Amino acid sequence: MKLTTATPNNVSASLEFLLQEIPGLRTKWAGPRRLRVDLSAETLPALLALLKGRAGYVHLSAISCVDWPEQSEFELVYHLWSYELNVLVKAHIRIPRDPGVYLSVYDLYHPAAFFERDIHEMFGLYFEGSPDMGKFILTEWDGPPPMRKEFDSEAWVMNQFEWQDYRPDWLAEIEARGGGITTRPQDIRKDGKP
Amino acid sequence: MSKLNSIPVAVPVVQQPSGGAGNLLANVFDELTAFCRSRSLFMLHYCTGCGAIELPPAMTSRFDMERLGIQPMVTPRQADILLVTGYVSTKTLKRIILTYEQMNSPKYVIGICSCTVNGGMYWQSYATAKVLADYMPVDMYIAGCMPRPEAVISGLRELMANIRAGRSDNWKDYYRHYDHYLGNQQRLFGENWQTPTDVIGEARHYDQFGPETLGEHTALLERHQTPLLPFEMRLGLGSESNK
Repeated sequence: MKLTTATPNNVSASLEFLLQEIPGLRTKWAGPRRLRVDLSAETLPALLALLKGRAGYVHLSAISCVDWPEQSEFELVYHLWSYELNVLVKAHIRIPRDPGVYLSVYDLYHPAAFFERDIHEMFGLYFEGSPDMGKFILTEWDGPPPMRKEFDSEAWVMNQFEWQDYRPDWLAEIEARGGGITTRPQDIRKDGKP
Repeated sequence: MSKLNSIPVAVPVVQQPSGGAGNLLANVFDELTAFCRSRSLFMLHYCTGCGAIELPPAMTSRFDMERLGIQPMVTPRQADILLVTGYVSTKTLKRIILTYEQMNSPKYVIGICSCTVNGGMYWQSYATAKVLADYMPVDMYIAGCMPRPEAVISGLRELMANIRAGRSDNWKDYYRHYDHYLGNQQRLFGENWQTPTDVIGEARHYDQFGPETLGEHTALLERHQTPLLPFEMRLGLGSESNK
């Protein structure tokens, strides 16, 4: 029996055949080895179980979150990788911003616990069934979720922190000793214009 | 013997400091201590950001910091200099303060890169502390993004000159104005912020206790501070059946 290697053509055909089992699913090839899948939030667990069980998608590399304040929605992107097919599947779902609750996929992919905890911290999205929704990276944080679009980082910083003023006499001390900026840009330029 | 006595001896004219009281030997030990201190600096580099990448060339054979008597040290208990090499996130700042308070006095803090001066390119970041000098006294800033090893060594030589001349005593400021520094720390970490170091006791020990050491923020500390007790020593396995 001759072993066939997974080329983009036969892989794409078999993947698309497999994905027909999920209703209401749209696929789009973003590249020869990148498949974008748009589906409803209810069918995502079924898709993940299908891909993991029958196409060798054992690796959930990341969950990304995108905030769409105009549509009042969060977009979640599940990046899945198969070491047999060598094709990346990006599963896009949209969930309403309010109340911002979704199901955890921890039972299918254990690394999801970290991604979901991170998204919970940065976007305030809650994942039901995730093992730990506690503070993760921003351990000293008590403000709103900082990656939401309405969070104004600059206003927060101006309110929270103080600054020190520039003191030209610091540089004067260094220049008196012969340091500081000795070559100005106009000295380097050939025309010598300031 | 008479010949020995007749040999003219050049007595150096020593500028008497104000408290010298005419004794030639009064400041010899201070001078000697300052000289030795400036020539044997053990450096703890807290590599928070990108500036740390300039330290290996500064320490190793190319620029060779060791010819100046500066060596890396692995523990804060035995270090003289704390090098903070880059942006200081709020989470990291806690660890830096803990490290700083563990060091023995006299201790010197050097802030490397623009980020320790005013936040640098992270000035808009919600999770980065901006001015390092708000939370601990900084002896020297080496600005730049990032400063080259030449600049690092030039800054360290400057610090050595300051120590030699007795000008670098910012560590005393932490004890004298502990309330100010603690207030800034509490603003970031909340009112329950507490380090395991008894800074007020240390201020008394180093004879740096002043009117600004205590204040409203240290009062807050005393209210919630749990006393630091020694670990209870237990012998045996501790189960009831062993009795």
